[in-house]
Amino acid sequence: MALTTAVEEVTGRVPITVMALEGELDASNFERVIEEARGLYERGTRHLLLDLGGLAFIASSGLVALHSIVRTMRGEAPPDPESGWGALHSLGLDVSSGSSQSEVQLCAPQPAVARVLQRTGLDRLFTIHPDRDAAIAAF
Amino acid sequence: MAGNPLSRETLRPIVAPFDSPGTGLSIVVEDAEGRRLAAAGSAAGEDADVSTSVGIRCAEGDEIVGRVIGCGAAAIVGPVVGSLAASLEALVRSTGGVDPTAVRLESELALARQIQRSFVPLVPPEIPGYEVASHYEAAYEVGGDFFDVFRLMSDPTRLAIVIADVTGKGIAAAMLMAFARPLIHAAVDNAQAPADALLRTNRILVEERRSALFITALCAIVDLASGELRLSNAGHEPPLVVPGDGSPARWLEGSGPLIGAFGDLDLGECRVELAPGDTVLLYTDGVTDVRTSSGERFGEERLLAVLDGCRGETARQTVDSIAASTRTFQGEMPAADDVTIVALRRT
Repeated sequence: MALTTAVEEVTGRVPITVMALEGELDASNFERVIEEARGLYERGTRHLLLDLGGLAFIASSGLVALHSIVRTMRGEAPPDPESGWGALHSLGLDVSSGSSQSEVQLCAPQPAVARVLQRTGLDRLFTIHPDRDAAIAAF
Repeated sequence: MAGNPLSRETLRPIVAPFDSPGTGLSIVVEDAEGRRLAAAGSAAGEDADVSTSVGIRCAEGDEIVGRVIGCGAAAIVGPVVGSLAASLEALVRSTGGVDPTAVRLESELALARQIQRSFVPLVPPEIPGYEVASHYEAAYEVGGDFFDVFRLMSDPTRLAIVIADVTGKGIAAAMLMAFARPLIHAAVDNAQAPADALLRTNRILVEERRSALFITALCAIVDLASGELRLSNAGHEPPLVVPGDGSPARWLEGSGPLIGAFGDLDLGECRVELAPGDTVLLYTDGVTDVRTSSGERFGEERLLAVLDGCRGETARQTVDSIAASTRTFQGEMPAADDVTIVALRRT
């Protein structure tokens, strides 16, 4: 099943870009999502809300996408998951020092997606809101 | 060169000694003028040197049309160089030239597959009173699944089973797998308990900042005499216990965060007693995430149904039944992720 993204700019206390993911985030499309987030950052986005309401499924590669998007929004050059050892060695940050990040927040995960985030501990990295309005108010 | 087919006979192997084992693992493809068409692997072949590598020349008569140069462990690089030289030859034959993007993709996938293949244990250990069976099938773009089954060095009366999935795909996932698998093995050999082994592995991966990728891993240690299984789970699919007495299969719940992401992990342990006839099944999400062409997932319920039909069967039969069911289910769809299944049955 394909993944579609819809991007929308909203204004809370700060300008927020909302990216709604619909479909399934997996090995076939996680790099594209990283690329899209990188494009948003280059065009000025500094606060990103990922609306997961339409996301039916997240594979483990989707977790890489979430992590890379956080790095991108913090202004770091994200690692290229396609490249080899050279890029792997150049990393300067891991998730443990990013647990207080607020640049990227999540909302409305379906139970299957929430379960994967919880099982893998990636839920520690994000503030997860029940719905879009609550999330926008929290930035 | 277009139009004149190359033949296998005109491929000329160049074999030179490996005198620089520390240079990592790489494949470089060059055209006849020595221009780099593609590079894959560690340091993307920056230090690959034909004088210290295995190479195959793709030549048409006396005319060299390209070179495939590999650098690294002969067991991994050798077969890749050979297969790539054949691919390069086929590309030249069919298109009259070489498309660098196609060559790069082919190089990376060939290397990733070979790394992956070289780490899959082929023969499970013989363990009196138990039966071990496994199944591994790589996705086309190669995920980072791996597993390991071995007796503890410090205490051969205990058996360790590790199953893990490096997030991501391709060469990056394969190389992290190649790094992590022996690391976990050594950690298990030296650890007091499964959670301790995973914590040690995590500490090394996080402190060395090896990767942008993560690893979900599950480590079980079985006391072979008593059948007690201790298990720790770092973000991996929970394993299933299928009781031999016919009661329903159940997941061994309880897991902590995956490896490589957090400096501190709170990993718990769970225990279960394996009675004769009981089977414990470990698998990666490639099993439950297998799709039909319309996108339907194989899912947990179908896995349980297959297991129910395998009551009383051997570990080998159980693993084969699951593999066959997922294959039938996906039909013509290529697998998007590696599929790994390991079963341990107390006989």
